[in-house]
Amino acid sequence: MQTVQREVIRLDNVSVAYSGIGKPAIENINLSFKEGKLIVITGPNGAGKTTLIETCLGLLKPFKGRVSLLGIDTRSRKVINVRKLCSYVPQDFMRPPFETYTARHIIKLGLAAKKQLFDVSTLDYTSKLSPTIKLLNIDDLLDSPIGTLSGGEQQKIFIARALVREPKILFLDEPFSSLDRDSREIVADVVRKYVNLNRATALLVSHDLNPVKSIADEIIKMRKGKIVEVKYM
Amino acid sequence: MFGIAIIAAILGGGSCGMLGYYVQRFGVTTLSFSIAHAALAGAAVGMVFGVDMIYSAMLFATTYAIVMGFLMSKTEHARELISMAFFAFFNALAIFMIYISNTTVLATSSVATILWGSVLAVTLQKIAIFITLLILFIYYVFAFKPQIDSILFDKKLAEAEGIDVHLHTIVILVFVSIVIALTLKITGGFLVFSLLYNPVASAFQISRRANLQQIISPTLGISSALLGLAISYILDWPVGATIAIISTLILFISVIYRLIINILALSMAKKRTASL
Repeated sequence: MQTVQREVIRLDNVSVAYSGIGKPAIENINLSFKEGKLIVITGPNGAGKTTLIETCLGLLKPFKGRVSLLGIDTRSRKVINVRKLCSYVPQDFMRPPFETYTARHIIKLGLAAKKQLFDVSTLDYTSKLSPTIKLLNIDDLLDSPIGTLSGGEQQKIFIARALVREPKILFLDEPFSSLDRDSREIVADVVRKYVNLNRATALLVSHDLNPVKSIADEIIKMRKGKIVEVKYM
Repeated sequence: MFGIAIIAAILGGGSCGMLGYYVQRFGVTTLSFSIAHAALAGAAVGMVFGVDMIYSAMLFATTYAIVMGFLMSKTEHARELISMAFFAFFNALAIFMIYISNTTVLATSSVATILWGSVLAVTLQKIAIFITLLILFIYYVFAFKPQIDSILFDKKLAEAEGIDVHLHTIVILVFVSIVIALTLKITGGFLVFSLLYNPVASAFQISRRANLQQIISPTLGISSALLGLAISYILDWPVGATIAIISTLILFISVIYRLIINILALSMAKKRTASL
């Protein structure tokens, strides 16, 4: 018997423009993403890939069309609650050298949205953290100030932060941009396993298809703010 | 009387230093600058209409903070410009009210309180309000510590992870507006932001660690206010201006300290490279 896959994100005729810019960053987008899928969004610079995922998260509001995230219209204030079920690794994650938060603290902050008043417990976090550390091989980095880590190491820390939150939807914007070849394979493998084990959905933006071809369920190609091709693997 | 002035200086300096840190890290510096001038206009309006200046300042500043807080998400790109437009408007309103007061109220001492502050005029009732507000703020910071820390680290990421950044920003702005209104009598309307910005700017020069900055900033706020109060008492200078001068001097010293640290670090790095 085939299991029914729930729709987690839906975009109906969505157009988004940045303030003061007449040309839409994405235009007339119709997409539907289902649970348990790993979707790769690819395209050249300026194609609208980051705009698309930030629109899905409700960080950008469409001037036309409707976006539904886990059944909630992203224009509604309720979107704040459903974002607690999502994780985001932004493209511009790099911290300056003087940033003194330790890697461990940054990962822990990922759970902040789910904490109750006066809740400073670390038990839950510790149990969630250990398998992620092993998978990403970051145990030696945890007590270092984030600013002293290399770009690739910082990127792994932000990916760990995203996974510790146990999200239903994982938004990853260029998650391989600072990683070496071996680390790319490890991260790609970790994301794929996470999606499979948790029936989660991952939206992964990558201008380079090589590291993600083998793990993708769908590949969406964008150009100049429009979808030019959707390929099911 | 002087005892109350000392307590007022400690409360004003400490709370401005503490809130200044959040103002800077939440990215609402310009907005809080215009809130300070809304308080000034409110105090001037209160003076003309015979209302307690602190309460009218509080009403103006809080209303403006809430309205701007709600409009903030819709006007993100133009927030600085809107803040500066309101800054000009509130300044004009304050000056207009002071102009009217010369012919209607003839209250020279009230005008002086608005412009330069009058720490000796702080009442026990205002001290009680200040202490209550401080307790509420500390309660808020501890209750929402993980969420606030997350915003301080990265606002956009916190928003993407389901933290109500907008609501927390409005809460901070409301606290700022009340603290500014209460501090008006200590520094005067034109100088209140010297206690809001200088201690935190100095803290950023002295330490790179967020948790230390959060302690250094209110400590420097208290030091500026107490030193300013003492010097103004000894030399018979206006309190507000003296506090502003002291806090600016502390900022200069902190900048020099940072420069020395940077030069020492660079020379150590050069020595290390040469020895390799």
